[in-house]
Amino acid sequence: MHQRPSILARTWTTPVILIAILLAVALAAVAVSTGPFNQTVIEIFIRVVLVVGLYVFIGNSGVISFGHIGFTCLGAYMTAWLTMLPAIKKSKLKGLPDIILNAKLQYGWGLLAAAVFAAVCAYVIGKVLMRLSGIAASIASFAVLAVIIQVYSNWDSVTGAQSSVVGIPIIRTIWPYFACAVIVVVVAYFYSISRSGLALRAARDEATAAAASGVDIPRERLIAFVISGAMMGLGGALFAHSVGVVTPDTFYLGLTFITLSMLVVGGMNSLSGAVLGVVVLSTIIQVLRWFEKGIDVGGTVLTIPNGVQEIAIGIVMIVILMFRPTGMTRNRELVWPGKKLSAEAGAMPSSADGKTAKT
Amino acid sequence: MKSYLKIGMGAALSALILSAPGAFADDEKIVVGFATAASGFMQAYDKPAEDAARIRIDEINKAGGLLGKQIEMVAADTKTDRAEGAKAGLEVIDKGADLVVVSCDYDFGAPAALAAEGAGKVSFFLCAESVKAGIQGVGPHSFSASVLAAVQGATMAEWAYTKKNARNFYRLLDTWTEYNKGICDGFDYQLPKLADAKLVGEDTFKNDDPSIAAQITRIKSLPQEPDAIMLCTMMPGAVSAIKQLRAAGINSMILNGSGVSGSYWLSAVPDLSNFFVPDQGSVHGDDPNPKVNEFNAKYKEVTGGDPSSQYVYPGYVMIDVWAKAVERAGTTEASAVVAELEKMKDEPTLFGPRTFTSELHHQNKGRYLITEISGGKPKVVDEWTISEPIPVDYLASK
Repeated sequence: MHQRPSILARTWTTPVILIAILLAVALAAVAVSTGPFNQTVIEIFIRVVLVVGLYVFIGNSGVISFGHIGFTCLGAYMTAWLTMLPAIKKSKLKGLPDIILNAKLQYGWGLLAAAVFAAVCAYVIGKVLMRLSGIAASIASFAVLAVIIQVYSNWDSVTGAQSSVVGIPIIRTIWPYFACAVIVVVVAYFYSISRSGLALRAARDEATAAAASGVDIPRERLIAFVISGAMMGLGGALFAHSVGVVTPDTFYLGLTFITLSMLVVGGMNSLSGAVLGVVVLSTIIQVLRWFEKGIDVGGTVLTIPNGVQEIAIGIVMIVILMFRPTGMTRNRELVWPGKKLSAEAGAMPSSADGKTAKT
Repeated sequence: MKSYLKIGMGAALSALILSAPGAFADDEKIVVGFATAASGFMQAYDKPAEDAARIRIDEINKAGGLLGKQIEMVAADTKTDRAEGAKAGLEVIDKGADLVVVSCDYDFGAPAALAAEGAGKVSFFLCAESVKAGIQGVGPHSFSASVLAAVQGATMAEWAYTKKNARNFYRLLDTWTEYNKGICDGFDYQLPKLADAKLVGEDTFKNDDPSIAAQITRIKSLPQEPDAIMLCTMMPGAVSAIKQLRAAGINSMILNGSGVSGSYWLSAVPDLSNFFVPDQGSVHGDDPNPKVNEFNAKYKEVTGGDPSSQYVYPGYVMIDVWAKAVERAGTTEASAVVAELEKMKDEPTLFGPRTFTSELHHQNKGRYLITEISGGKPKVVDEWTISEPIPVDYLASK
């Protein structure tokens, strides 16, 4: 019998291509080297972290979660607590435990702590939630988001309630963000080809058969939930360091829907879709912003009215989804030209578009 | 499969090709950068103050400029979003801004102000009234052009006590924003300093509460109607609260912060009376200072409408004090300008004196006009300056 090459051998080009795209974006920032463009690229990397984080759970399990931005909030506050000046904490956030109150860590530790804290919370929440399926799980995850935001909006002595938490060190170089985006892409890739990842994808596509074959669905989901929770926490911490201010309302419906849209437009069930969704939509948003400000084309300045960007991005998403209901990547992965289709798509027909990919 | 690759490459390429148009500092002119909201809900607050700032800039330019150079305005839209705010701040700095003007509200202005602080530039909040808008929440190069919310509460308490003989006060706080809490903090500070004035009760509500019937019942069940109700709230919930208080037959004097300044909302509560608002200048055309009325006329000429509330004025004050500091320092260099600003003590402006110190880049004392609404008509009836500034330590502890 013909021995098929390992899944790694057949699919390793996917993360390489995705990292190359991210590197191109990073180099664009270096080439342009203006403050606002740099910040835009930082934002793209943060969104890559968040959307890939969503993909790890939603893409692999097929359960839409509206609650992941809650972990982003947990991560953002965790790094804020650890990296702020103790003097500010002592006057505004008196309720923090002493050990945190007196700490002044480097931002790298803040990022790590944010990811770990979010993962621990995801584990506790996931233990309960992962037994639910379908819409019940989605709404329950949304309830989790609402609870987290309410607690953080009202716990005055620890989170400063609705006031902005300031004094977080601001990092304006792109490389830490780039590194985190790369790490997240690599982890997500290895997870999706791991035993647990494959089992979860099998459960996504055919729950009964998977369960009958010995897949413990709640357990596999929990693993994905914890990994994606850690990524969301990391994304939140990166956000905190990019802007220098955190408030609970930043991490609510607005961010939830923009990240989910990016995932869906890119292609919900593929890692490439998560990354491309962010890069393409962010690029379109940026181009429209420049048009709002006016772009000089051969002497005439082209300008679109302020606010058109928000409408245009909505229309662009509708158009993309009309022609590609399963997202820009049709739920497949990017592979090197010449190679055959990705093994995962080949090994497991994507249920979402109803077509069996050819190998 | 190739087409997907093309999408990816295309996206990356377009990001490469399209570069932001950058501009650089020019020695021939002075640049004021506005990292404010041109869209989103903050625009309603930022735009009027920005127009007022523009009027002052035009005046300076017509009079020969600042240090012999013309002042140029550049702007970037924050879209009422914090992450965009940081970008907008960086953008105006890239365009060579010597002064970075940020959104009216502390929460939305802070990201841009922090960007300016990081670049060592002077930043000014258009009209933020939290003590954090300055050294405490941004850093040593940050200022606010308005007066602390706490001063409004303290002013109303002291004025009502002295001029209206109010002795029994009731405190009704809308817990929605820092601004509201700030007003009541000032009131709390001032009240114990007024001999035989007492707090007969206090209560809270939320801006979007459809009904404050429970709170009203508690006021009604007091043995005696309070002389004055200190109402710490703001739009849009303020109108509903005021309407309900009056509809319930509570006729006590109502004291407010400047959040209810202006006459645009008065038609919603017909025949409102015994209602008092502190204003830095009058938008009703009856300011005791004729120059303010001249400014109002000019504002109408430029924007096509009367100022809607007193929050227009800090924009003008901001450019005024900053330009003076630049003139005195002989440079726009941040630390020299900050040093000159910090020397200002009761510096006269069209809208009351301004003082900045190395501890506080905000006003913890200030002259306020008292506007009375009587029979639904607003009229300036008095002006008041609190006897003692509110201590910085007290403000910072809140």
